[in-house]
Amino acid sequence: MLVWKVLAVALVISGCSPSSAPDASAPEKPAGQAQAPAGAVQLVFTYGSEKEEWIKDVTTSFNASGARTASGKPIFVTAIPMGSGECVDEILNETRKPHLVSPASGVFIKLGNAQSRQKTGKDLVVGEAENLVLSPVVIAMWKPMAEALGWGKKPVGWEDILAVAKSPNGWAAFGQPQWGDFRFGHTHPQFSNSGIISVLAEVYAASGKVKNLTLDDVQSAKVADALQGIEQSVVHYGSSTGFFGKKMFTNGPKYLSAAVLYESSVIESYSSQFTPAFPVVAIYPKEGTFWSDHPVGIVARDWVSEEQRAAARIYISYLLAKPQQEKAITYGFRPSMVEIPIASPIDTAHGVDPKEPRTTLEIPSTDVMDSILTLWGKAKKHSSITLVLDTSGSMEKDGRMANAREGALTMLSALSDDDVFGLLPFSTKPIWVSEGAPLKQSREKMKTAISGLMESGTTVLYDAIGIAYDKLLQQRKTNPGRIDALVVLTDGADNKSDISLEQLLEKVRYDNEGKTIRIFIIGYGDEAEKDKLKKIADATQGKYYDGTPQNIRQVFRDISTFF
Amino acid sequence: MSEQPQQPKVTCLGYAVILLFITACLAGAAYFFGIKPEWPPKFGNGLSTPTVAAPGQDPHASPAPTPSPEPASSVEIGIAYGTEKKRWLEWAVNEFAQTPQGRKIKVNLLPMGSLEGAQELVAGNKAINVWSPASALYKDTFVQDWQLKYNKQPILREEVLALSPMVFVFWAERYDAFIAKYKTVSFTTIADALKEPAGWDAIAQKPEWGVFKFGHTHPNESNSGLMTLVLASYQYTQKSRGLTLKDILDPKFQNWLVTMERGASGLSNSTGTMMKEMVLKGPASYDALFVYENVAMDFLKNAEGRWGELRIAYPRPNMWNDNPYYIIDAPWSTSDQRKASAVFLEFLLSEPIQKQALVHGFRPGNPSIAIKAPDSPFVTYGKYGVRIDLDEIAEAPKGEIISNILAIWQRSVSGR
Repeated sequence: MLVWKVLAVALVISGCSPSSAPDASAPEKPAGQAQAPAGAVQLVFTYGSEKEEWIKDVTTSFNASGARTASGKPIFVTAIPMGSGECVDEILNETRKPHLVSPASGVFIKLGNAQSRQKTGKDLVVGEAENLVLSPVVIAMWKPMAEALGWGKKPVGWEDILAVAKSPNGWAAFGQPQWGDFRFGHTHPQFSNSGIISVLAEVYAASGKVKNLTLDDVQSAKVADALQGIEQSVVHYGSSTGFFGKKMFTNGPKYLSAAVLYESSVIESYSSQFTPAFPVVAIYPKEGTFWSDHPVGIVARDWVSEEQRAAARIYISYLLAKPQQEKAITYGFRPSMVEIPIASPIDTAHGVDPKEPRTTLEIPSTDVMDSILTLWGKAKKHSSITLVLDTSGSMEKDGRMANAREGALTMLSALSDDDVFGLLPFSTKPIWVSEGAPLKQSREKMKTAISGLMESGTTVLYDAIGIAYDKLLQQRKTNPGRIDALVVLTDGADNKSDISLEQLLEKVRYDNEGKTIRIFIIGYGDEAEKDKLKKIADATQGKYYDGTPQNIRQVFRDISTFF
Repeated sequence: MSEQPQQPKVTCLGYAVILLFITACLAGAAYFFGIKPEWPPKFGNGLSTPTVAAPGQDPHASPAPTPSPEPASSVEIGIAYGTEKKRWLEWAVNEFAQTPQGRKIKVNLLPMGSLEGAQELVAGNKAINVWSPASALYKDTFVQDWQLKYNKQPILREEVLALSPMVFVFWAERYDAFIAKYKTVSFTTIADALKEPAGWDAIAQKPEWGVFKFGHTHPNESNSGLMTLVLASYQYTQKSRGLTLKDILDPKFQNWLVTMERGASGLSNSTGTMMKEMVLKGPASYDALFVYENVAMDFLKNAEGRWGELRIAYPRPNMWNDNPYYIIDAPWSTSDQRKASAVFLEFLLSEPIQKQALVHGFRPGNPSIAIKAPDSPFVTYGKYGVRIDLDEIAEAPKGEIISNILAIWQRSVSGR
């Protein structure tokens, strides 16, 4: 029965991701910035960040609309974007107490209800959750590259992705040597809905089936070979589908040839905020795909009063009303109001096809899903990571060092035994603890070393980054085919380095050939020089995070989803 | 398959459902047994007979019923209803709010499955004053449970709002391909298509359409789901009455039903929700569903704005769903709420509202509404496959027959 299979998969996902990692770098940006009027019934609405722009728009207009409860009180909604898994986790763990919730997929509501019944004997949300908007999962690709695979002339799917991913000469095998290697991106299957969907679809394509996937299929050499073939072309993983989209549209085909995104992301690439060299088109895999259907529900917890439930129903009705649903189309979503025909920008001029997808894939049983995730763990692209950690005297403040150690240990535990890990603490000067060794051999030693880090001295940030970068660059010559990255944490300004920021930027700037090491950098505390640190991350196509002693574990967990 | 026929076991809930189903079906069969039906169906006089107009009225006259006494002051009523009536009832509530009576009566529509509605009432959900499920399927169970708790009859008044038979609904492109291969739509050909491991590649040389995807609601939770199993059983045995235990315990039949049901998908508890999902997500979600005729017709135009035309086909034999409206003698209902419930019922049975039911694909409970008029959707939607006259109407199978069908289905679920 499909419902139970979906639930089973959701439970697998949950089992692998006890607490999903949101984009910790993004501060909460509640939609509807106006202050709540006096005496208002206030609602907190947590939702999957894929639909952030639409929700911000319609919630702002709702708050300004003068909506009132039956007793005449004004209603004010604070809408908070986050990962879909986090939406559910926060309610289950009561780390936040929202009144409404809308993850990206109904799977999360089913999962949440099942977990909630187990924990409290009651569902997570009241009654049936209605879909707000819809968007299919697609492979987003630069149009010339898609055409090279036959897009526009024949159905294209995972089979074709596999062919180009396994080609030793990359795009040269398709008559386009100037495009170099095939570079692919999808999110981490243990943290993200689109990630697990990607891996599942790859296995289906490799097995030649569209349903009834068995353990024998998953454990066959053919499937293992195909999965490894695609996964080795992945540039890195991550927790946010939207992040891949934005990075791809900003950095162009040299960064990513293709990524697994939502249809709405492809449409977003045509907005004025991006000026890509080529148009992006959606490939609806011929083998089948999945829908993201954005259900919204009222939270079934005692902290939601009857008055708030009534107010929540008014807000949901507003979101489902024609003007707001028509607005959803302009953000690239398919409205859930069936009376509204599909119209521009959901059209070929924006790289998508309103008559797709033609088929969906069946979600396999729990044991098969489990087996797929185990296989992925072996087939995935492994990483070489160096942690460059500030141990200067200022790390003593506010428990910074103790929390940073905890965060680093969290990341270490998320890396696999086949990953290579190096550790370079720095203060007055950088001192190698390990230049890099497989965690299969060094995990315990690294745990001990991180746990024993102490703070003192000044901050030679740029020198430390430069040294770690050079070492990793040197190592990749003998150990290629990995996700190479520096993870840097610093709480202050560089005040002692021999090299300048400009020299460092010149050294590390991503060039798509030899220099492809990414730097993920955490500005820790208020004194970190955020703008400079962001320049370093951007130069390498990495990512900058705002860290605090309170969120640092979550930040490290999010960074670990890239590997 | 090598499974041997066995006497399957049924849960207590299963027995309750079966008992209700039989009662409801018997009521239906009393009207349709052996009769090739015409429209409007003619109901006899009987204890469980659905009525098509307010008591004491000429059933062929426009209802314009004797007005119920109005509530003295503003009042709020709650109606637990099946989502197959969602669009029509939501429209009707809005219209009602514009009337002088409606300005004093606020109607809250509470969507829920048939069984859920009964359970909520017995549990004492004070928001519900009226219950309007898809059919009388769960009525007797509800009455028994209510009597156990309150020691009295729960229903003050009951009327048939509108009728609807069951249909297969397909995407037109896939219907054409299906017909090209199988010639006709029936549970037999649906089962054949579901058995194809290569799906549409084998059916119509369309590998890009994936597997053949057929859905219906949950037989233990939804009226239309149980209808699916019963009508499939009749169709397999080529009967419309006299289904026997021997028929059901035939290993070939059991294997056929189990195989078909293992291939089926969806199993929502709401027919309206499944149909909406089909239109929202297109043929990627379902190639075909088995739903109420009114639900399929209500979405015909919306489907064209999304994925293209739909096609409707009728099973042979078929069964009616009568959408009853029960005013509940609940201890929490005030005198004004009971009066208001009757006022709204009369509004629903009035000619303009019944005409709108026709627009939403129902065969109106008010027989004065002609469904053969030139502008009737039953005429204008002929190109989609909509038909006014039906073939045979099946009788209610015996209890042990239904219990065995449900138990076989249960086995198909556990075998997935």
